[in-house]
Amino acid sequence: MSTETTNENRSDMIVCENVDKWFGDFQALKGVSATIAEQEVVVVLGPSGSGKSTWIRCINRLEAHQQGTIIVDGVELTNDLRNIEKIRSEVGMVFQQFNLFPHISVLDNVTLAPKWVRKMPKAAAEKKAEELLEMVGIPEQAAKYPGQLSGGQQQRVAIARALAMEPRIMLFDEPTSALDPEMIKEVLDVMKDLAHGGMTMMVVTHEMGFAREVADRIIFMESGEIVESGTPEHFFTNPTEDRTKLFLSQIL
Amino acid sequence: MSETTIVETGKRPEVASSSPGEWIRKNLFSNIPNTILTIVFGVFALYAIRGLLGFILSGERRWEAVATNMRLLMAQGYPANQFVRVWVALGCLMVLTGLSLAIWNAKGQLPIKKISNWTMNIGFGLMLFAVLAPISPSSRLGWVIAGVLFLTFGFGLWMSTKNNQNRTLDSIPTVWFSFGFLGTLVLSLWIVPFGHYAFTNGELVAETGRTVAMSTKLPFTVMWVLLVCSYCVIIRVRDYLPTGQAKALLVGLWFLSPFVLNWIVLRDPDFDYGHVISTDVPVAALFIFAGGGILYLLTKPSLGELGRLTAIALLIFGVFNWVAAFFGWYPMLQKVRISFVLLALAALIAPNFAADRRTRLKFVTGWGVLIVISHWLITAVNSPSTLELQGPTYLGGFSLTLFVAVLTLLLSFPLGVLLALGRTSSMPIARVLCTGYIESIRGVPLITILFFFSNILPLFLPQGMEIAELAAIVTGYTLFSAAYLAENVRGGLQSVMRGQYEAADAIGLTTSQRTGFIVLPQALRVSIPPLVGQAIGVFKETSLVAIIGAYDILRIANNVVPAQTEFLGVKREGLLLVSVIYFIVAFSMSKYSQRLEERVGLGER
Repeated sequence: MSTETTNENRSDMIVCENVDKWFGDFQALKGVSATIAEQEVVVVLGPSGSGKSTWIRCINRLEAHQQGTIIVDGVELTNDLRNIEKIRSEVGMVFQQFNLFPHISVLDNVTLAPKWVRKMPKAAAEKKAEELLEMVGIPEQAAKYPGQLSGGQQQRVAIARALAMEPRIMLFDEPTSALDPEMIKEVLDVMKDLAHGGMTMMVVTHEMGFAREVADRIIFMESGEIVESGTPEHFFTNPTEDRTKLFLSQIL
Repeated sequence: MSETTIVETGKRPEVASSSPGEWIRKNLFSNIPNTILTIVFGVFALYAIRGLLGFILSGERRWEAVATNMRLLMAQGYPANQFVRVWVALGCLMVLTGLSLAIWNAKGQLPIKKISNWTMNIGFGLMLFAVLAPISPSSRLGWVIAGVLFLTFGFGLWMSTKNNQNRTLDSIPTVWFSFGFLGTLVLSLWIVPFGHYAFTNGELVAETGRTVAMSTKLPFTVMWVLLVCSYCVIIRVRDYLPTGQAKALLVGLWFLSPFVLNWIVLRDPDFDYGHVISTDVPVAALFIFAGGGILYLLTKPSLGELGRLTAIALLIFGVFNWVAAFFGWYPMLQKVRISFVLLALAALIAPNFAADRRTRLKFVTGWGVLIVISHWLITAVNSPSTLELQGPTYLGGFSLTLFVAVLTLLLSFPLGVLLALGRTSSMPIARVLCTGYIESIRGVPLITILFFFSNILPLFLPQGMEIAELAAIVTGYTLFSAAYLAENVRGGLQSVMRGQYEAADAIGLTTSQRTGFIVLPQALRVSIPPLVGQAIGVFKETSLVAIIGAYDILRIANNVVPAQTEFLGVKREGLLLVSVIYFIVAFSMSKYSQRLEERVGLGER
């Protein structure tokens, strides 16, 4: 199981070494080791229950791992609250169910964290939010409430909300799985722009087209382990492991 | 990126409204069981109304007992020669209301259709009254004519909205409708012979066939004039006013009004201002400025761990003061002890305001306001007497009911929210303490708690520390109500999705920011219906304070009025009036909560 970085000049943003995670007696992650470099786009694939969501949720400590080390942007994740708060403001996360705050407007959703975590003045935060909403293509929805938007629009707001903190890493936990088919493209387009802009990204998804087109590297997981890791070309055309071949034969 | 746009395809087709006959057939007589139910309950309802009217209008009823004792029921113990103070306070509120309506430019419109419905309902009510009430045939005819007039007027209004093609008058401003309605009520005091009843120097005065006393109708008229005039004046000059500043000024005045008005109404003629100037004001100023300075330093962004340590040290000191008070080690003013605990709590949340200078100054200003309010409350509630006391508390009647209910609700709400948060928190000590508190309070009847606070608590208090009867009532009731409120809020907290917590964590909010901005607003919105139920319960159960000797409106109607020699044993009239008053207040609260639910439901689809 090799974790080669694609470019030696770039610094490592995420380093995982032998990460173990249990839910009760069930071991969700078994010795996961991987290194993700700056500006790298990594797509994590695998059958459901393979631990891919658990893994990326460990990276900003929504779940706590029990063994091994996770180092994000040079800071090791421990129980120390300050480290966790620091990392969470460096790492943006987009959820499958969007998890927008339904009681405040779209603009407030985006400006909340910059105002209160980054202590940005209100006017500056709003200007930034308007730029971000422009970037994700929904500047006219700023005054609406999340419940008044379509699923695709909500997910794009969620991306803008994460970007408002100016994170160095973005994590995507199945961002298109809860969307209607016609909405998927608009979200994937935003993610592509982000990847081309040089963001370090880790994406758990079932969108093979996106993986093939955008990913620098694909990591395939099963039963809490990393089975295979490589470039999209290698992964889709010439996989080495039998389990990868079986998975590809089922979905392609 | 392509946007899906919704093309408007013409207007929604208008649904043809069914005629009254069709409506009745569809809803009341659609099938045999429905018809039977309609008839049975119709007969039952008519019978009940007839019985009630018979009770009210029976010759045995002595309504003059209620009319004579109206002041007693509203403000027992309040000296009659001081009533002008109450009117001055009310007048201030009226002017403030009028100014606010104008400045905020209340634009509510009342559809004519609604008014016509109300008018027709009144007409139906009058007809029903004419048919069912046990009155003489000639007055029955009078009521029928009144009913027909109302029905015709309402129907005319309804037709005018239906047939009028240009629809010049679909609705009228709610403000003017309300002014007109109130004006009609005030006018009725001048022309309708309600009769004049009073105790003048202990002698019962009962004059039928004339309007109410000048001392009643004149103040009400002045109130109405103040309300309407202040509105009209401001609406004329509104365009020349700096609206933003005017709004800020009015908010400030509303905020000050409870303090000032309470001072106007309850100021003791012999109140000791020397003590206020020599002690109360300096202590408050010290806390505002020294405490504010400490808090300003604690919100310095670069402070880090030192801030938390200082806050904890302050908390330990604040708690220690109470322990010391219990054992009588050193004397300290009660409000100083409370202020130290408040300062410690403020220091604990200070890191959330560690930002630019403006945010920090806002936080310090908030601290000053908190100290002013809390010190005023402690002084006001703990002043053992004002005016001429006629009972254990300086308030009585409906004013006591309102005072206890409003203060209990205001104080128990934050306490209940804190308890609910504590019970659901991940800190084991907080969880155990809050759960223990809630469960033990819920296992004890309210009466027991009231007895405890009025009789037993003073024995436990440190020497030299007194607690006024009313303060004891409000404290006990607040602690009781907070436990129930906490359970309602906890229900709301449980309805907030886990994803909301995760999203708040993922964007880097601290735990208290997550609670304040994300979790609590959503939880409280869900808890509105049970919280309003709780508020109504608190309002109604204030009647239990009678048990520890306070004179609330119910006790006056049930015990005091029937004991007067003029109205010996006259009890039912007062009880009916009291239940109507309770109903009006409780029903208004319930209606308001429905509007509140609609308003905060915004954005949820």
